[in-house]
Amino acid sequence: MSNVLTASQAIQAKARRREMLAAWTPRLAIAPGAFASLVYVFGFTLWTLYISVSNSTMLPTYQFVGLKPYFDLWSNERWKIAYGNLFYFSAFYVAVSLAVGLGLAIAIDQRVRGEAVWRTIFLYPLAVSFVVTGTVWSWLYSPDAGIEFLVRSLGWHDFTFRLTTNRYTAIYAIIATGIWQSSGFAMALFLAGLRSVDPDLVKAAQIDGAGPARIYRKVILPSIAPIFVAVAVVLLQFAIKTFDLVVALTHGGPGISTTFPATYVYDLMFQRGEIAVGAAAAIMMLAALAVVLVPYTLWTVWRSRREAGHG
Amino acid sequence: MVDATFDLALDSQARGESLRYAMRRIAIYSFLGVFALIYLLPLFVVVANSFRQLPEIAQNGLIALPHSFSLSAWPKAWAHYCVAGTCEGIKRNFFNSLYMTIPATIVSTLIGAMNGYVLSKWRFPGSETLFVCIVLGVFMPGQIALLPWAYILGALHLSNSVYGLILVHIIQGLSFTTLFCRNYYINIPDDLIKAARIDGAGFWRIFFKIVLPLSPPILIVTVIWQFTGIWNEFLFGLVFTGGTQQPITVALVALATSQMNAHPYDVASAAVMIGAVPPLLIYLFGGKYFVRGLTQGAIK
Amino acid sequence: MLTIKAALAGAVVGALATTAALAEPKTNLLSQWSEGSDAAAIAKLGEMFTAAGGKWEQTSIAGHTANTLAKLRADVVAGNAPPAVQLKGPEIAEWNATGMTANLDDLANKEGWDKVVAPELLPVMKPTGHWVAAPMNIHRINWIWGSTKAMEQAGIKSLPKTWTEFNADCDKAVAAHLICIAHFSQDWTDATTFEVVVYGQNIDLFRKAFVEGDTNAMRSPDMVKALKQFRLMVSKYMDPGIAGRDYDTATSMIAKGQAAFMIMGDWQIGIFTAAGLKPGADYECAQAPTDWGKPGFILNSDSVVFFKQKDPDYVEGQTLLAHLIMSPKFQTVFNQAKGSIPARLDIDLKDFNPCQQMSQKDLQASIADGTLVRSMAHNMTILQKYRGAILDTVTSFVNNPKMTPEEAASAMADAVDAQK
Repeated sequence: MSNVLTASQAIQAKARRREMLAAWTPRLAIAPGAFASLVYVFGFTLWTLYISVSNSTMLPTYQFVGLKPYFDLWSNERWKIAYGNLFYFSAFYVAVSLAVGLGLAIAIDQRVRGEAVWRTIFLYPLAVSFVVTGTVWSWLYSPDAGIEFLVRSLGWHDFTFRLTTNRYTAIYAIIATGIWQSSGFAMALFLAGLRSVDPDLVKAAQIDGAGPARIYRKVILPSIAPIFVAVAVVLLQFAIKTFDLVVALTHGGPGISTTFPATYVYDLMFQRGEIAVGAAAAIMMLAALAVVLVPYTLWTVWRSRREAGHG
Repeated sequence: MVDATFDLALDSQARGESLRYAMRRIAIYSFLGVFALIYLLPLFVVVANSFRQLPEIAQNGLIALPHSFSLSAWPKAWAHYCVAGTCEGIKRNFFNSLYMTIPATIVSTLIGAMNGYVLSKWRFPGSETLFVCIVLGVFMPGQIALLPWAYILGALHLSNSVYGLILVHIIQGLSFTTLFCRNYYINIPDDLIKAARIDGAGFWRIFFKIVLPLSPPILIVTVIWQFTGIWNEFLFGLVFTGGTQQPITVALVALATSQMNAHPYDVASAAVMIGAVPPLLIYLFGGKYFVRGLTQGAIK
Repeated sequence: MLTIKAALAGAVVGALATTAALAEPKTNLLSQWSEGSDAAAIAKLGEMFTAAGGKWEQTSIAGHTANTLAKLRADVVAGNAPPAVQLKGPEIAEWNATGMTANLDDLANKEGWDKVVAPELLPVMKPTGHWVAAPMNIHRINWIWGSTKAMEQAGIKSLPKTWTEFNADCDKAVAAHLICIAHFSQDWTDATTFEVVVYGQNIDLFRKAFVEGDTNAMRSPDMVKALKQFRLMVSKYMDPGIAGRDYDTATSMIAKGQAAFMIMGDWQIGIFTAAGLKPGADYECAQAPTDWGKPGFILNSDSVVFFKQKDPDYVEGQTLLAHLIMSPKFQTVFNQAKGSIPARLDIDLKDFNPCQQMSQKDLQASIADGTLVRSMAHNMTILQKYRGAILDTVTSFVNNPKMTPEEAASAMADAVDAQK
């Protein structure tokens, strides 16, 4: 009697253990990677946050001083220019990259020949580092030896193309070069998205008599809307991190007109030995990001809850 | 008969149509062509300048049809030029970058795949939040992470070593690789997994027998993305290595930003080409998988 | 029993002692001299180090100085301070204040550095009275370079001695359809030219504003006067291409005779030499214009600072490196290539470029006349945070034609005050 009971209890215990193992294996498998990521994302941010209210100058020190570094930061003309540049650049860069990428994708989608060639031509800039892109384009923008020199030597002696030497237009040089680098990525995603649009929907619209422009606006673009978002997110993170491109292309000049938060943080922390103020600037960068990301996250959560509700 | 009459009646309309069609084709090809020229211009400049002689470049400008030819810039850039502390060209930096990028790419991809697998197929309370938290890392600017990494690497005695740099790139890459893999695996039907579990397969079995074999498109995407990002990265490569271990981006910056000396445009162009070859090759061969894998991952 | 124990103990002690004595000097110099003539000059130091039996390694960081400093900070934070670093000016004092720098007094006293190093450098190298840095050279900032070809074409007989003569000569150059000043706008070059103007007009203003960082001096009418002269130079005597031009293009403007003058420090000699130009035949050199008629000298000095190390090999290496840097042989060879003059005053410059010889004579005269100052633009006086604020203002002034001298003066003072 007791043997049978113990045997079935043993089987049950074994089954429970297996279930627990099954439940815990995934969590254990993800634990090391997740832990490292969380330290990276939150640990580093919290450390930076603490440093931004400390008295750190040459090296990190941990005495609390309140919001003084933030006041110091915002009393700097250069920071205000940098922060403004970030928003301006990000808006133009993301919007125009999306537009160019979409335009190129639609063009290639029109059953052009040699698609692989076109795709490779527009995609290869992604393989190049921002440092190299900035350097080579700075050669091209240079009035002494670049595009202006070329066109003048072809005969148009009054041609000027001096984006990078004028403090109002230098930011457009950076925007244009950034678009050159990244719109291939947008194009690639849009192209695949265009290819995966449900052909029945398109046929239905054609039967209804809609012209090509209408079809694009009403049928095709809405169905690839998620791609817009995905590309925008990737472009946005490139925009926030803009550093190598600016340093290589304009060195933050002419004057300080194309200074960016990332370059100023670097300068504050490492050149000027003002680590607390640099950390405050870094936190402001993350705050700018939160302005975009938090509404987006809330909207995704709301949307998925709504979809779950609708079954 | 009917068809012929039909054709005749539509002939003029057809000609009008075909004219409009032709013009549309011309418009499309010109649009693509103009953009292609703009995209190719830098590549042309760099390739051409790596084969021109330096005095001729200085005389005729950077964008010009080559009036001179010389192969000497390439061996100089590879093995002889005095840059970044030695007079051995950039070949050591090239191999440093390889030794650093390949392991970091592979490990971050594998861990990302595992993370994506767990977060899409083995959800647990809090797994969605965990996913968002991990993915937030893609936005982290390098300047913020520099000093904390210095602390951590110092504590692990890995600073100034290529292993430290590999660790940094792995952990930073996890944000991207997890994002890509999880969005891709979400599209694998849950029924497939359920059926396998009913058959008695466990966590690891399902991963190796079902999920991994379906993964090549996204793994290629991840490898391409990581390899390019890590190979082209400058700041951490500069700060966390020393002496002769510095990666190729450091050598390229040294060549390209000579503050107080004459720009060696020919050698710099050759060096840029050498440095760009691995990512370019990867995009060349992996290009179509890149597109395929990303869209299957991006459309959610 | 006792004898064996004692013998063993003795053997262990003996082994340890021998190991310490056999410490192989090694070093790793962190610097920003990563290519071209800078790298060649440092390579010579490496050769000397290896010849003296040491193991030489260097980490040369390209790009802006911030990169080198970033690596230094990361290494220090990681507990891995480099054995030798290229640092200068007030940074030496700042790092010394962290307590991590090594003390070179023993070597300095043995070799008598106090007697041979230029007196203006001593407070920089010995911020708290102890030697922590070994100076490699003395750069002179206040030079004016003239293109022989362009000067001939414009009818300028000799380089101008006062700012009035300068403006008159520039008018001649402009009338001859030449650019007067070859310039390329970056924060440090704009600041270099401007501090030469301020120094040349008014040494007291320079001392108050740029050495002491007095913001009232920055708001003063004298500063506005200097800015007016600077505005004249930028708008009339430079060309619109200064933003985005690079260094070697500016040099070639002098070489080709497209521009008459260049205001730049003495490393220009090294660049001219590397480009194959000869003094007298292709270029002229003279002290930059001053309105007070005496020899003047704005000083900049590169130096190497040593951080405390645990590894005895590195400690040995530091002593060897410091000794080599201060040796007459290195000072001669290094400075001949770079265009600067030795930090030791007791070295004969007979094989040096005539401009370098002039530099040493003017240095002695300037010390005697009390007109010697250290450079603000090249980070030898005020803290980086104040210097950065001034540089931002100056380079904005250069690139913004609408900014008036009055606005610039108060912007400069405001920016520096904001850092206090």
